Amino acid sequence: MKRHLGLLVSAVVTVTIPGVLGVLAVLGHEHAVAGTETVSVSALAAESAMGPLPQAPAGTNLPVRNSLAGVQRTSGSPVTVFSDVAAGQQAYAMRLLGQAAAAGQSTSYEGVEKTSQSGVDGSTVTVVSQVWHVGGGQTLISTSSGATPGVSYDTGVRSPAGVFGVTTAQISLLGRHYVATYRGDGNAAGRPAMIVEVYRFDGSLAARFWLDTKTLVPLRREDFDTAARLVSDETFTQVSFGPLTTQPANASYTQGSTLAASPQAAWVTAGSPVAMVESMAKSGVRLPDSLLAGLPLYAAASNGSGAAQVTDLEYSDGLSVISLFVQRGTLAASMAGWQPVNLNGYRVFVSGHSVTWTGRGEVYTMIADAPPQTVAEAVAALPYGGQPGLADRLGRGFDRLAHLVDPFA
Amino acid sequence: MSHLGTLISALIDGELAGAELDRANAHLAGCAACQAEATQLRQLKRELSTLGELDTDDAVTRRLLAMTLQGGQVTARPLARQPGRRVRRRRGRYVMWSAMSIVVVGVGAAAFGMGGSSSGVNEPQITPQLEVFDMQHAITSGDVPFADPSSTRVSTPPKASKRTLVKGSARAAAEATRP
Repeated sequence: MKRHLGLLVSAVVTVTIPGVLGVLAVLGHEHAVAGTETVSVSALAAESAMGPLPQAPAGTNLPVRNSLAGVQRTSGSPVTVFSDVAAGQQAYAMRLLGQAAAAGQSTSYEGVEKTSQSGVDGSTVTVVSQVWHVGGGQTLISTSSGATPGVSYDTGVRSPAGVFGVTTAQISLLGRHYVATYRGDGNAAGRPAMIVEVYRFDGSLAARFWLDTKTLVPLRREDFDTAARLVSDETFTQVSFGPLTTQPANASYTQGSTLAASPQAAWVTAGSPVAMVESMAKSGVRLPDSLLAGLPLYAAASNGSGAAQVTDLEYSDGLSVISLFVQRGTLAASMAGWQPVNLNGYRVFVSGHSVTWTGRGEVYTMIADAPPQTVAEAVAALPYGGQPGLADRLGRGFDRLAHLVDPFA
Repeated sequence: MSHLGTLISALIDGELAGAELDRANAHLAGCAACQAEATQLRQLKRELSTLGELDTDDAVTRRLLAMTLQGGQVTARPLARQPGRRVRRRRGRYVMWSAMSIVVVGVGAAAFGMGGSSSGVNEPQITPQLEVFDMQHAITSGDVPFADPSSTRVSTPPKASKRTLVKGSARAAAEATRP
């Protein structure tokens, strides 16, 4: 009898333990990658934003149905249902935006920018910045308020490379996810401008750009959410083009000068963003390698090494941009300057357009130029929780074991 | 007169005695057929004796001999159970299951241990470096660094030169309008 009992116990232990471990590991893996979609970003990146677009019958007036937007997202191929005329407008508008991105780099200008943006917590935040840019050189950005002026910097190598987010990379992404049309002439910052409107594939207005008629440098930009609410408004309140006439108060400016030591120099851009995400997954940190809240992963960088490493993943569809910073640890007990906010059931800390929270042993900090609902959707798609649960811990452990056995897996 | 039949084998083997032996010898003296058969049997017995002695203690030999002499068939007898072999087999199973259990538990424990903090100590307490992150976001998004008013830090702006332009208290420059 004792022998039978021993055999039974042995069998139960052998069957139960691996079963439970397997179930927990699978559940942990599934939970950690919840919200991860499977579209290949490399496939998106390999295509041209300006390529030939499928066209709907000429009678079709407005772009685009939700189902077609879905087709685009799952197939990775550009889709539009504009008429022949509208397709021509799209090509012209995209060409204008591309030229605007180049003009923002090559043209010298100085002026004052005013940016108003809806914060994650529903507040509206406004920033006024004075900007100096020498064509092909540095951009200096000085935010001034009362007695505490400051100087922001860009380097010639790592600069925003654009005005109001109009960069070559962003315009390329925009061409894959939106439909742009030239809407005629207007005025902005006291200058004549050409107006380009950007639509979603459901036909709703997503953004509007005013491009300087003479230089094509963006003068103003408005962004709208899916409910047609204005979520961001950036404009030059004053601007002049040509050789600079003033200099930042606290900095001498020399075209072509470089920065010897700056925090930005520590960022190392990843050759393949997807490969970086896969590398993180091997160490147990699973993040979306394609879409986050509908925004494709298009760039990645890292800063530091080992346990102190910070990983930056950039998601953008050309209009909305989310920078996700991931670092090991938990949030400090005291978060001065941050507001605790309940974001759709997730307790996070918010500061302007930044959100931070702890997710299973990692601290996630998201800086978003995106509608609040997009930010909320992105937060919900990422790991959340004070400490790694048993399932997450086992899943991470099995991942590390597998990586130990086969480093190339 | 009838021949000796099976008695001739007993006669050759010396198993007859008394009146039965006398009658057999009397018949054999006058019967050429039985004499010939007796001669063949004696010859056969001699040839068998040259093959060596059988171990009559061996069970198999005994049964074979009995079968030969009686002309009957040997019935198969079930093999006797061997408790020792079964115990050894069961012991082997115990060892196998135990080893598998230990391996599974060991791998699970290793995964649990490795799934924790890589440093093996408490996770570091972190306050996000928003200034650094803001600038990185600005560079990748192509927009101005967006100062967050709620994290305003007032500091004396550093003296900048053409080679060292340092981001100052950008957050202090922001003004927030809350509805």
